[in-house]
Amino acid sequence: MLRILDRLEEILISALMGAATLLIFVSVLHRFGTGISFLYPYLIQIHIAWTQELCIYMFIWMAKFGAAYGVRTGIHVGVDVLINRLNDRWRKGVILFGLAGGALFTAIVGTMGAKFVIELMHTDQVSPDLELPSWLVYACIPLGSYLMCFRFLQVMWAYWRTNALPHHDAAHVEGIEVSQKAPIALGEA
Amino acid sequence: MSAALIFGLLFALMLTGMPISISLGLTVLTFLFTMTEVPIESVGLKLFSGLDNFGIMAIPFFILAGTFLTRGGVARRMIAFTTSLVGHLPGGLGLAGVAACAMFAAISGSSVATVVAIGSIMMPAMVEHGYPRRFGVGVISTSGALGILVPPSIILVLYGVSTNTSIGALFMAGIVPGVILASMLAAVTWFVAWRNGYPRMPRADFGQQWKAFRESLWGLLLIGIVLGGIYGGIFTPTEAAAVAAVYAFCITVFVYKELNLRDVPKVLLQAASMSSMLLYIITNAVLFSFLMTHEQIPQTMAAWIIDKNFSIWMFLLVVNVILLLAGNVMDPSSILLIMAPILYPLATKLGVHPVHLGVLMIVNTEVGLCHPPVGLNLYIASSIAKMGISEITIAVLPWLCAMLAFLGLITYAPGISLWLPRLLGMI
Repeated sequence: MLRILDRLEEILISALMGAATLLIFVSVLHRFGTGISFLYPYLIQIHIAWTQELCIYMFIWMAKFGAAYGVRTGIHVGVDVLINRLNDRWRKGVILFGLAGGALFTAIVGTMGAKFVIELMHTDQVSPDLELPSWLVYACIPLGSYLMCFRFLQVMWAYWRTNALPHHDAAHVEGIEVSQKAPIALGEA
Repeated sequence: MSAALIFGLLFALMLTGMPISISLGLTVLTFLFTMTEVPIESVGLKLFSGLDNFGIMAIPFFILAGTFLTRGGVARRMIAFTTSLVGHLPGGLGLAGVAACAMFAAISGSSVATVVAIGSIMMPAMVEHGYPRRFGVGVISTSGALGILVPPSIILVLYGVSTNTSIGALFMAGIVPGVILASMLAAVTWFVAWRNGYPRMPRADFGQQWKAFRESLWGLLLIGIVLGGIYGGIFTPTEAAAVAAVYAFCITVFVYKELNLRDVPKVLLQAASMSSMLLYIITNAVLFSFLMTHEQIPQTMAAWIIDKNFSIWMFLLVVNVILLLAGNVMDPSSILLIMAPILYPLATKLGVHPVHLGVLMIVNTEVGLCHPPVGLNLYIASSIAKMGISEITIAVLPWLCAMLAFLGLITYAPGISLWLPRLLGMI
């Protein structure tokens, strides 16, 4: 069950990233296309004024769910100068406090967002270009925040039991191995 | 008074090691709940509207482009090209490393990507050719910082968005300082290598140089697409970034064939999670600067500075000291997002040009990247070179001194940053 959630989260944010890129790329192509005379009559009928708005919404959704994914993978940076100098017992307490802070913040934000979205559902507000119902667009705040809150609690529980925190290693890029032999063709080139 | 409370709380929370974004958010919530009558609901809205800006969306696109480029063979071909040009000079591979970092910086917007892409190839190669390990680490971890100064730069986009400064003008302003810093780092590299008699590479003839150039041409074209496109008014910076991402995808998958189509989702996921992390800090930083403006903190500080008759000279010195100190605890994007909204109104009151302030802030954070305790470049270099942090800290010293000298230059000679954008009529 949890694994399905993990997988969904990953698929959602990767798909949004890819789709938004293609969307803007196509809209740029379209603008170029309308500059070419024989394509103009066909392309001018396709209205793409809404692409920027859609792109923004896609990225906001990506950001909210990606932030939750980031908690699970430990990508959110914090200041660890002080806590690395504490002894083990204090360190554990402080880190748990930090994680609890994260859970608290996301829970509050999620609740505020949920209230806001429920209020919006009673109105018929729509977004400016796409004319999507506003509550649908804003729904990413409660959904993303609650998911993030859940992730914080998950990480806390795991840390409390096993002392292991997810750690993101910026130097490790999959697919790039640090080559032991000089790969530059020098002299022989 | 409230300023002291806000910053005190923020620092206390940050020192617990909780993510910076969360510390910012909790500070704002605590303050709003206890001290003010701001309707708390507006916070929820701000979390959305803070990102509702097409300019910000350049950041995920540039990150995606950078992720593709780091994985593809672009960096390797650039290194081969620069080595064929300068390899025969004293410290040849070091100079080639500086030049390759500058080139890679011109197609990617982050320092981390630059250090990873160039360092993972260049550092082992230098050891192989008989250079001391610490020399390679010193060169690459400092030159990698060029990534955020030379356009495109994610950090410059952040500054542009949070102060409403033209991103195009900021990009152009980064070019001349980038070239100067690269030359200064190269000069230090040359001098160190010449003093110690480090090995040189065999001189490449013109045919080899031409071949290396042709192979790296695909990557170099991207510089033209991004900068030319923005300057020529063909794209907005965000569109340029999206085009760069698609272009980077095409060259790594179809031209250089270093990436399988099957690996693309992994790249997307990696870029998406990196972007979300940054966007999440941005939303909370927007909340934080909303609180600052609400409490009129920048305005109060500006009034105080005017009242005390601060000269620009003094002000810039203080700004540098504050930013260098901040560089000891935070990464560049957090520093930018927290400090830019505060410094910007002060600077404009005193007549410092916003573009100049932007470049100045970037250079400050670059210095922070190259020294402990949080210098990210050092950590990356240390994990690539398998060297301890304290040893690397000593290794980067000559280059770090050059960077500090460069910082002084940028601070007190605004012309360096402003000349090119003025020439192009962008400011």
